[in-house]
Amino acid sequence: MSATLDVRDLCVLFEGPPQPSPIDGSVRYFVVDAGTQSIPEVAPGHRIGLPGVTFTVNAGACLAVLGTSGAGKSSLLRTLAGLQPQGRGSISVNGRDVSALRPEQRSVVYLHQEPVLFPHLSVLENVAFPLTVRGTSRREAERRGFEMLVRLGVGPVAGNAATALSGGQRHRVALARALCADPAVLLLDEPLASLDPAVRRDVRAALLEARAMSGAATILVTHDLDDAMAVATHISAIGPFGDLSVPASPADLLREPPTLAVAQLLGVFAEVPGVVERTDDGASRFRWAGGAIKAAGVAPGSAIACVRSHDVDVSAAGSAEAPVLTVTGRRDAVHEVMLDVSDPSGRLVTMRVPGTTAARVGDRVQITLRHARIYSTH
Amino acid sequence: MMPRASLIRSLSFVALLLFATAPLLLLIVTSLARGWFYPAAVPETIDTGAWRELFTDPARRDALVNSLTLAVCTAITATMLALPLGRSAAFSTRGVRRAVALLAFAAVALPPVALGIGLQLTVLTLGLGGTLFGVFLAHLIPTLGYLTLVFLGVFTRWDRRLEESAATLGASEGARWRRVLLPLLRRPIADALALGFLVSWAQVALTLLVGGGAVRTLPLDVLAMLQAGQDQRAAVGALALAIPALLVLAATRSAARNTAAVSA
Repeated sequence: MSATLDVRDLCVLFEGPPQPSPIDGSVRYFVVDAGTQSIPEVAPGHRIGLPGVTFTVNAGACLAVLGTSGAGKSSLLRTLAGLQPQGRGSISVNGRDVSALRPEQRSVVYLHQEPVLFPHLSVLENVAFPLTVRGTSRREAERRGFEMLVRLGVGPVAGNAATALSGGQRHRVALARALCADPAVLLLDEPLASLDPAVRRDVRAALLEARAMSGAATILVTHDLDDAMAVATHISAIGPFGDLSVPASPADLLREPPTLAVAQLLGVFAEVPGVVERTDDGASRFRWAGGAIKAAGVAPGSAIACVRSHDVDVSAAGSAEAPVLTVTGRRDAVHEVMLDVSDPSGRLVTMRVPGTTAARVGDRVQITLRHARIYSTH
Repeated sequence: MMPRASLIRSLSFVALLLFATAPLLLLIVTSLARGWFYPAAVPETIDTGAWRELFTDPARRDALVNSLTLAVCTAITATMLALPLGRSAAFSTRGVRRAVALLAFAAVALPPVALGIGLQLTVLTLGLGGTLFGVFLAHLIPTLGYLTLVFLGVFTRWDRRLEESAATLGASEGARWRRVLLPLLRRPIADALALGFLVSWAQVALTLLVGGGAVRTLPLDVLAMLQAGQDQRAAVGALALAIPALLVLAATRSAARNTAAVSA
């Protein structure tokens, strides 16, 4: 089924008591009662998590929603599926407002992080389940279910017990079952989290196959940019105030993250501190320890430049017209190098540079930024 | 030579076996012995008359039928009530869960005589004193307590994602119960029915207090015969009481085993 998912000003609620973030201990809620400084309950056991979410996912497209742990990614999906109450706002599937409908009436299928197969049914019975509950005859449901299993490469396990599958097979069977429901919207809740690399590759491939087969509008929530890039057509990020960035293509998002918070969430940028100055000709430039770069449209004052490793050139001192920096630390990652450099005054900056960079600790280098996204921080 | 630890283990096992089976064996022999008096080591006459009487004597047959009727009805009704009650309590807030657990535990833990006197007043007020229905209501209270605790435990460990998956795959609430919940709860339901049957089957105090002697059941019959010195008949009644318990134990020996939907 192909349909468009349209979400307007949706207030997503968090279930249960306020939970401190496992990272910094902060409590992540965005509506606090000014008088009591408490987080009010807007429904029994529910508090406002994401105050106003708006986006559209077209049929066949896949939106990846990035966010840190506890940001509200799963709550967003559970709200869209009707598995938890929502605040204000609307959820429309193909123009029909489904906000008040029960989960089974929405044509929205939600896949949990761990595939949940019915343990008392065989694989084939699991896959036929969404058809039989809608009144399709058992024989026809199993025929179509088997076809779906074959298309997703798990035909040979059709007769197995649902409990006798490998991790990758469980994901593929759960996807086949979801596609048998012919959903208008498919919600994937971190399907690739906590998988080992081999299973992860297998499940990624299965997700792409499922996307190709289904005309559903798909939402994938994840905290992993690689997963989002591999599967999604668009990416959006939950910001520090529970705001969702405008969906952008992966390439656009990486080139121009809309906010510093989104850039930080993407986790692929070096954050270079500096100052934006006005030049004599009225233009703006960003000055940092290693030189300067144009900063069109950024207000003068302190700022941070977000730079990816492939936009950085590192050369030996004296080969370019730029301040000389000393390498004080080097940590090699898979595709890039984290280089700690300091200027003569001792200011320290950690740069992400290409993996081919030869600079060692103690070397004197000059660094040129070819492209940077600059954010005012004052 | 057998190691000391192994010897102690073997002796303990034999002692436990004797402890568990000796009374039962003695009951079997007594139920078949007419006129077995001290100092005779073995019965002089073997007689199955008391067993025949259990099914042919109208008064004893009525007691047996009453006991069976009460136990079956109580087990089914309590299971039907405790399942949704335990489920909704398990999925409620911690406060509600604790309150339900406390009430259920009170129904189990209160001495049957104390509970019976309270129930007697209530049942008499309702005009149900001395009726089978009044006794059934009285049996329902402790049974419901036991079974609510059982289902509270089951649903506290229940994987709710199964129902969520079924719902988003298009299953209505009824379909979720029929296709997912009930098949997965088959074992806990069987265990609950068995437990409910046994709780009612063995009730004496509540039956006596609420039934007021007008409702005769097998346990009351056994007590009456013991008081009258009819040892053989009492032994037959006691064995008749024990048989369902043993059958239920055999059928649900793996009662503690979890269903696949409940994590260990």
